[in-house]
Amino acid sequence: MPIHEKNLIEKEDLLEKEKAVVDGVDVSGRWNTFIRERLLSDYHEDFVEEVKSLPGGRTVTNCWQCGTCTSGCCLHTDYGLREFNPRYFIYLAQIGNVDELKKYGDVIWRCISCNKCVERCPKGVKVEEVVHNIDEVLRRRGVTEDTPGSRWDRTYLDNIMATGVLDELGLTLKYVRAEKPEDFTRGFMARMAVKIIRNGNIRTGPIRRRTRGWKKMKKVAEDILERDGYASAK
Amino acid sequence: MPRQNEKMAYYPGCSMDGLGKAYQKSTEVVFRDLDIPMNRIKDYNCCGATEVKNISYDLSVFLPTRNLALAESMGAGTVIAPCNGCVYALARANKSISEDASSRQRLSGYLQEAGVPQYSGDVEVKHVLEVIRHSVGLDAVKARVSRPLSGLKVACYYGCLYTRPKTYTGAGMKEGKDNPEHPHFMDDLLQAAGATTVEYPVKTICCGGGHTIADREVSVGFSAAILNEAARAGADLVATMCPLGQVNIEMNISKITEQYGAEIIRPVVYFTQLLGLSFGHSRREMALHENISDANGVLKRMGY
Ligand code: SF4
Ligand code: SF4
Repeated sequence: MPIHEKNLIEKEDLLEKEKAVVDGVDVSGRWNTFIRERLLSDYHEDFVEEVKSLPGGRTVTNCWQCGTCTSGCCLHTDYGLREFNPRYFIYLAQIGNVDELKKYGDVIWRCISCNKCVERCPKGVKVEEVVHNIDEVLRRRGVTEDTPGSRWDRTYLDNIMATGVLDELGLTLKYVRAEKPEDFTRGFMARMAVKIIRNGNIRTGPIRRRTRGWKKMKKVAEDILERDGYASAK
Repeated sequence: MPRQNEKMAYYPGCSMDGLGKAYQKSTEVVFRDLDIPMNRIKDYNCCGATEVKNISYDLSVFLPTRNLALAESMGAGTVIAPCNGCVYALARANKSISEDASSRQRLSGYLQEAGVPQYSGDVEVKHVLEVIRHSVGLDAVKARVSRPLSGLKVACYYGCLYTRPKTYTGAGMKEGKDNPEHPHFMDDLLQAAGATTVEYPVKTICCGGGHTIADREVSVGFSAAILNEAARAGADLVATMCPLGQVNIEMNISKITEQYGAEIIRPVVYFTQLLGLSFGHSRREMALHENISDANGVLKRMGY
């Protein structure tokens, strides 16, 4: 059989022959690839239950694996990151194949929340949120590590929790200092800062803007975060 | 004219008072010229964008709901937001309230604890673009144009979360809402302003702005694709409607030039800046000098 999504199968499990003859019939070409027989036994049936128990992951079991989300996914199709495959992540979560999911620990976080998948899913799966919740459960269980994406989300959250509104420059500086992305050099940052400060648009650090009455909101927000298992950086 | 009983509150969102100030200034001018009232929600808070939901569902609904509750207590039936991310977060909160009783109940408790008025879930969320396009109408816009943008070729870039997902925003289902797969409101408006808008394939692709710094490869890749397709279609400029998209593409321009060459670079402007120009305002009034990319050159050459 021609094999679709060949990239999902481990190289050593693929058998490709230059020339294949079966029962005297030449089946070379499209039909020359075989998958080695393999047996999976290590399933975590509670994995999908944990994803489902999170409010953003509730729709994970609605998925009927049509692949609409993957075919339109900005990352998979438009950007061409073939190993990012939301349909497959959901499948692995449903059957509890955590070992296989682990291999995608440095891929899943790259979802950029564009929501094209949620827009198009015929089964009402909140694909994007489900994908993020699969990532969350993997990290909670210690299967995968923190990622640039999860660290970005946390830096963002800590920033807005301080005053209720975002300090864009403060957020950028903090994240860049910690992660040192290659092209955010000092020179580049300085040029951007000059431009932005000259416009007079930025109030950062101690003079940053704040939401009046935020204190009370903050208290409630902190309680929610604590209950959701989030430990603030401060 | 907007119907009188349909009071609209304006939720600027953090960026409009920060990096997106030029968008705010030009939107204010356009609203004034078209008699659209701008009733700012005072002491708004961050909507949580697309980040907070990855950490706590409840908080990601609670944050925007406070803003919706404040809008409702101002007597508004609609809240206008200029940023795609805000439109998404606000509309998502409405959806969560309407479809999920247990979340609704928890939310009501949080609001009470924080001393925020209770919220019905009924305030409709609209993007600035939809408000200009529909509550005023194309004829009113045309009537206001004193210096048509003739000869200017614009690639309208809508980005991801303006209509998506339609189950939150009502796109394609409610009156005054754009088409979720083929949005055209910005094209309509800029054509009414005399510009030519080009057809190109990546109008609603993601710009990578959610991960501008966290995932440089993807963010630069998407921004380059948008500029490249706009250039191929013969556009002089790219027009945006989201402060995050605008700043993300602009910040990537130096990297894109390095990787793909200067031929595909096109300056990026807010659509309200172009509308304002067509209404007779100067480039300075439209704060074009505040953009990171330089559109002044091409606009000057065309006589604006
Ligand atoms: S589009 Fe929906 S139903 Fe189809 S594979 Fe994706 S999540 Fe599953
Ligand atoms: S939200 Fe994520 S999974 Fe969905 S289409 Fe966009 S990048 Fe793909």
